[in-house]
Amino acid sequence: MKPVECDLESEVLAAVLRNLWPDRVDARLREHVAACEICADVVAIAGAIDYAREEMRARAVVPDSGRVWWLAQMRARREAAQAAGRPITAAQVIAFACAMSLLGACFGATSSWFQSALRWSASSLAGFKFQALLPFAAAFVAEHGALLLGMAAILLVIPAAVYLTMLRE
Amino acid sequence: MFRETAFNDIQRDSALDDTSAGFVMDEETFRAFYERTARGLWAYLARLTGDRQLAEDLLQETFYRFLRAANTYENETHRRNSLYRIATNLARDVRRRSLARAASVPAGDDIERVPSGQDAGATERMTDFTRAMSRLKPRERAMLWLAYAEGASHREIAEVLGVRSTSLKPMLFRARRKLAGLLGRAPHGGKP
Repeated sequence: MKPVECDLESEVLAAVLRNLWPDRVDARLREHVAACEICADVVAIAGAIDYAREEMRARAVVPDSGRVWWLAQMRARREAAQAAGRPITAAQVIAFACAMSLLGACFGATSSWFQSALRWSASSLAGFKFQALLPFAAAFVAEHGALLLGMAAILLVIPAAVYLTMLRE
Repeated sequence: MFRETAFNDIQRDSALDDTSAGFVMDEETFRAFYERTARGLWAYLARLTGDRQLAEDLLQETFYRFLRAANTYENETHRRNSLYRIATNLARDVRRRSLARAASVPAGDDIERVPSGQDAGATERMTDFTRAMSRLKPRERAMLWLAYAEGASHREIAEVLGVRSTSLKPMLFRARRKLAGLLGRAPHGGKP
């Protein structure tokens, strides 16, 4: 198996980073680098990377630490407030749904016309033949096919667009 | 070990937590840590993304996530590794989103700009270096930068990049070979 590291790698690296390479190092190390491809690679890249590092750090324009701290605090507090508000909103929605269900149940149990309408609907549905609707539906689709397709596309596209927009944000 | 690791007041962390914002450290400790790490982290992010402005945005996001992370740090190195891991993940996410939008990933043109007054040879070498780096995979760029610009150990690089230490050596070897090839293996090497 081909070796992927060399014992003298750190010595070579140190020589490059201390600007000792190639003139101010032992002849032994120079001979080694000439024969070792791992150390030759280190020599080829380490100086370039270190130079780029110094250049970039010197040119780096980073925001002031106080500003970063202040913005982080503001954001943390905003997020904490949002997180605290979220359970209340969820609880409110659930409470509203429960109240509406209870109201509907009370109304259904006490209203005589609602119960008679319910019985009428049940008996109508029992006697209803869905096959009778087929010719009508086929004619409707043939006549308004494009419109139906458009509506179906809108129903599919709009939620997808909303989802993708939210994802991007 | 990362360079410039000379932070001795780690024990202050637990005592000075800013509980109001849920941060892992107080303002004074944060500012000192920021002053020590921000420039190096910015350079790392600029090198990974090839975009100065994006690097600044990611820098702020990295420090924010670092502050909000409910971690306890054993020492400065651990803390710094965590910071770089957050930054690496953020840069990776940005790159994935860019690819998903089918936009081209910045190739480093933005960070090639060298201030006027610098000699032409140095400018050219920086341009060559930036171009060579931009032809590496993001993970290769990250590991080479961490190893040779930040002086991180193999274990630290593996931790930051989320790879196994045993896999890192061959990966680093290949990345180094590739970059040396792209740089044309300068006969005398060393600094420009």
